[in-house]
Amino acid sequence: MSHAAYSLTEEQLSIRDLVRRVAREKVAPRADEIDRTAEYPHDMFALLKEIGLFALPFSAEYGGTGSLLSACIAVEELGRVCYNTGYLLVVQWVAFGALYAAGNEEQKARFLPGLASGELRGAFSTTEAQSGSDVSGISTRAQRVDGGYRLSGAKIWCTNSDIADFVLVAAKCAGADGRDSINLFIVEKGTPGFSIGRKEDKMGARGVPSCPLFFDEAFIPEANRMGPEGGAGFKLVMEAFNTSRPIVAARAVGLAQGAIDHATAFVQGRKAFGRAISDFQGLRWMLADMTMQTEAARQLTYRAASLVDAGVTGQELAAAAAMAKCFASDAAMKVATDAVQLFGAAGISNEYPINRYFRDAKVVQIIEGTNQIQRNIIANVLLGRESKR
Amino acid sequence: MDLRFTAEELAFRDEVRDFFRTALPVSIHAKCILGQRLTREELKLWQRILYEKGWATPAWAPEWGGTGWSAVKQYIFKEELHLAPAPEPLSFNVNMIGPTLIAFGTQEQKQHFLPRIASLDYWFCQGFSEPGAGSDLAALRTQAHREGDHYVIDGQKLWTSTAHHADWCFLLVRTDSQAKKQQGITYLLMDMKTPGITVRPIITLDGHHETNEVFLENVRVPVVNRLGEENKGWDYAKYLLGHERSGIARVGVSKMRVRRARELATRVMSEGKPLAEDPRFRERVAALEVELKALEITQMRVISETLRARSDKPDPKTSILKMKGSELQQAATQLLLEVAGYDALEYDGGFVRGLAAAQRDEADWALTAAPNHYWIRHVSIVGGSNEIQRNILAKQVLGL
Repeated sequence: MSHAAYSLTEEQLSIRDLVRRVAREKVAPRADEIDRTAEYPHDMFALLKEIGLFALPFSAEYGGTGSLLSACIAVEELGRVCYNTGYLLVVQWVAFGALYAAGNEEQKARFLPGLASGELRGAFSTTEAQSGSDVSGISTRAQRVDGGYRLSGAKIWCTNSDIADFVLVAAKCAGADGRDSINLFIVEKGTPGFSIGRKEDKMGARGVPSCPLFFDEAFIPEANRMGPEGGAGFKLVMEAFNTSRPIVAARAVGLAQGAIDHATAFVQGRKAFGRAISDFQGLRWMLADMTMQTEAARQLTYRAASLVDAGVTGQELAAAAAMAKCFASDAAMKVATDAVQLFGAAGISNEYPINRYFRDAKVVQIIEGTNQIQRNIIANVLLGRESKR
Repeated sequence: MDLRFTAEELAFRDEVRDFFRTALPVSIHAKCILGQRLTREELKLWQRILYEKGWATPAWAPEWGGTGWSAVKQYIFKEELHLAPAPEPLSFNVNMIGPTLIAFGTQEQKQHFLPRIASLDYWFCQGFSEPGAGSDLAALRTQAHREGDHYVIDGQKLWTSTAHHADWCFLLVRTDSQAKKQQGITYLLMDMKTPGITVRPIITLDGHHETNEVFLENVRVPVVNRLGEENKGWDYAKYLLGHERSGIARVGVSKMRVRRARELATRVMSEGKPLAEDPRFRERVAALEVELKALEITQMRVISETLRARSDKPDPKTSILKMKGSELQQAATQLLLEVAGYDALEYDGGFVRGLAAAQRDEADWALTAAPNHYWIRHVSIVGGSNEIQRNILAKQVLGL
């Protein structure tokens, strides 16, 4: 393990203060409504565009800071008041990160400035009805034709797809040796044969729509394939996503902190048996535990992000990122559950904000590699891979 | 202590199991398996079936419709009901207002109300909690004053579950604001059709309408619908809360959910194998089953101690059953949610409510996993929150 210390730079502190202020003043008042109506928050996207966060983790060339830790801080502060608004930022970074990692110069020039400014929006799609975590099971295919490919198949749960200007779609190509490879294609909105289904009603992350996608011999020009045919582009993108995993942990940290913020205010205002319920030691200890776990999650997350920023890769980063994601989302679930309990009956009413945190916390435990998968990663670093029976 | 059932008890169990298998309408049974919510009409239909069989209110005094079963037989009945799974009879009627009326009601009140409560011709809701009075129930402020033969009520009740279905409400009101807060409370039975009652829905975190706010403005309740004496309502309510707590471990419900999770895990694939073969999953199921067994045995111990003590007072040890029982109900729904995984993310309110048009096929079971996981948070909050139960344990069992 690297023992390099980290501390927040002046720049990171000012990013934190800026995002915290905007989150409190502009985002928090909208958070409940976004969750309740499940309507895409165009005003929040415009706000993020205005403060210029869309290139934050990436290089200065696109207006970014080149720091994953800075990105984590911004996501944490937004997620603290509104999971969905934080998610808007992450979704934009996913498309940016993929093109940044595996796009060619022409593709980068075509899309990255627009993504950085917020003029363009993207989406990313691998999941199919029969293959979730197991990407190799996808059946969407890209058939070589003159000048490009014909794409056929169907996807589900594609986040942001009905808003996006383009979707990065994973599809199988048959190789000359008869072996399939998974490649990514940039599918632009309006491409004939590409259609987007009805948006799903979701339990959590309700403000950012997810839809099924359908491809019926949709023609994709060769210029829209990412990387050489044979799967190298897809691999690069997956590696980039693994590196950015601390962002998922930061979403959990923000969520946990937000649940503590709401619960603290509630117990101080609620009276029973002649005093504020914040005077009961049992409840004080619950909040102390919640704060302890959240701070531990925050430190693991910041450290994992700082390792990325220091250029650490391989097993050391894999383990640190897995620990951060798993611990932070487990902590967020526990903290949000206790926060619901602290609200009493108000905790299960939709008229109070706390149940949003509870619903969204479960989502973070499952997405981006379930916490069971994260434990496998940590154990593999510790023990080596399991031997097959 | 012998925890095995006798041959007679086993025969009784088979009889009960057989009855549930044949008498429970198929459509209601299917909804119970899928974890869908039942309509007012479905609950009424099922209660009517139990009533006609004479099994609607086993725990009541036999002269008022009880079955006279031993505590063990009652336990078997409840367990089989949960495992069937069949709908639970409305707790407000069967576990709460019924026993309270039997203990404190007048002869006329008993004769009028008890059969209608047992058959669910009268659906009761509970008007206890208020905006400033939840766990600290005695802080309630809804006022009532006498005007001739009536009490006139003004105030507000909160978290009044099923008020939108209810025909009647058992209600606590303040009739003496000078007295110590526990001593100025009166217990009334209020017809929900009385002018001046406004029921406003509260949608809960599962997107469902189960609970309400109830506003009371100049509501006139005849004095004959008072339970017991004026200003003694707190004593009657305490008796009732004791009854509510004893049935609250709901071991059978949790057992049924764990069984269902195990069954579904044989169909859900994880890394190329059925989830049921995953050692981590098996370990979790085993741990949960061990805890359920321990709770079940604890529950039987409390039952047999209460029998030996021949006491009407609720045993404070039932707080353990409430606390642990609600934690295990939550653990069981969480297990089901995790078996469903990504498939639980979709929200289909129509399916959760079991609307015919929304039903698709049996594979849609995952759609109820998340709403039920959300909703089950209420069990550690209602009926005396788990924090209150810990206080009871500390004071009354441990003597701290």
